[in-house]
Amino acid sequence: MHLYYLREAWRSFRHHQGLAWTAMISLTATLLLCGIFLLLTHNAQSAVRFIGDRREMVVYLRDEIAPEQRDALIARLNELYGSTTFVSREQAWEEFSQQIGDPQLLQAVDQNPLPASLRVRLRPELLNYPAMEQAAKQVSQFPEVEDVRYGGEWVRRLDELQATLARGSLVVGIAVALAILLVIYNTIRLTVMARRREVEIMIRLGASDRFIATPFALEALGQTLVSALAALALLFTLEQFAVQQVVHATFLPPVWIAAFLGGAVLLAWAAAALALARTLRSAGP
Amino acid sequence: MITFEHVSRRYRERLALDAVSWHMDEGECVVFAGPSGAGKTTLLRLITHELAPSSGTVTVGTFRGARLPRAKRALLRRTLGIIYEDFRLLNDRTVFENVALAVRITGHFADAEVVPRTLYALEEVGLQQKQAAYPSELSAGEKQRAAIARAIVNRPAVVLADEPTGALEPASAKEILALLRRIHEEGAALLVVTTRPEVGAELGGRVLRLQDGRIAADEAPARSPYAQPAFGVTPPAATPDPGA
Repeated sequence: MHLYYLREAWRSFRHHQGLAWTAMISLTATLLLCGIFLLLTHNAQSAVRFIGDRREMVVYLRDEIAPEQRDALIARLNELYGSTTFVSREQAWEEFSQQIGDPQLLQAVDQNPLPASLRVRLRPELLNYPAMEQAAKQVSQFPEVEDVRYGGEWVRRLDELQATLARGSLVVGIAVALAILLVIYNTIRLTVMARRREVEIMIRLGASDRFIATPFALEALGQTLVSALAALALLFTLEQFAVQQVVHATFLPPVWIAAFLGGAVLLAWAAAALALARTLRSAGP
Repeated sequence: MITFEHVSRRYRERLALDAVSWHMDEGECVVFAGPSGAGKTTLLRLITHELAPSSGTVTVGTFRGARLPRAKRALLRRTLGIIYEDFRLLNDRTVFENVALAVRITGHFADAEVVPRTLYALEEVGLQQKQAAYPSELSAGEKQRAAIARAIVNRPAVVLADEPTGALEPASAKEILALLRRIHEEGAALLVVTTRPEVGAELGGRVLRLQDGRIAADEAPARSPYAQPAFGVTPPAATPDPGA
């Protein structure tokens, strides 16, 4: 029986190729648009994550604190905020020298003005502007601490960028979902109308809705799957031959590809179920 | 088997059936004869629940009610074998596929069982040689045979035929009537609606004459002109039966 449904779906596709190809081209275009946005989002998220991983809080220590006090503070910060590394005044100067690179400029500074500091790589749940701000306030209250820096402004901008990307993904996702629903819904309606006589005869012979609807639904799912694969192939080509020429970008990871294909098929199934429930009720006696 | 109790059906102002009551037993052959507009097709569509009665009750087997739910309507139709004047074959499928469709629709048979059942039905109507042909390649008589094969392939308890010879020339019409009679003799109840008064006599069934939506006469079965019809063989030309 399953083979029968597949054969019927294929028969319907062959008999209404014009309609099927129109639907598949529309779906491919819609899904490609979605894929482009997913690719942008994925690469932007990777970049943001890379920058985010480098977010850290720098705690400048008072000159007069004893090593025991410093070690106690490190232990406390490790426990409360994340992995803490001590940077002595000498290490800080060495790093600074390497960054500046110009010996003449360094000679102009007669003595090391840099304080010792602690670098705190914050725990993931603290990698956002409000949490970092609060952590910085709390750490600055410790008596051993001179000052705390965490690049508040760019952390806030990074968070805003992430939120904008998330909102954009949602809007594009909804738009694409609606487009898929509309294309599948209307294609199925037109296919059922084109095969109205056949559907009527089946209804008169006592066919159940499931018997009539299954080949239509399979056809719609097949068209959507092929369209989604075509959109992915086009997206890959675009990424390899156009985007890579301008910036370094990575293609969608397997989980995203699976979600893209699964989402498209799921939407197609929902659209097919909606269209068939409505169309079959008005199709026959 | 089939019972109408004071069944009326109205199309806006026009009364197609007017408080009609009748009953048909299992294995019986009933012919509804009457002119166009008498209410014959309406009566058939009430049996198949394509229409709901305006008043009264239609009972078909265990199905009883004014308007059955969609799933039950489908179930009811699967217990009937229906033959239409215009055949209603699917033009993009072969004769075999058209008949096999009715088997698949029941949902009771695996793919392996569909083929022998279909071939048996085609053999019964003498169309096994044309099983690969498309409806457009068949004569009108052959199309009706294919439609009959589709109607009987699931061994329904009752076969309904709506003007089964209406689109056929006389020789084919006689073959089809002989075939229907044979099916009835094998045990199926047969209900035929027709404008041709001689069909009742040719089938040897009880004739109910419909006139303006009412049953004008209920005539006992007439003797068939075919004493022992040979299956798949063209029956001899019928001699008009003065008693019919």
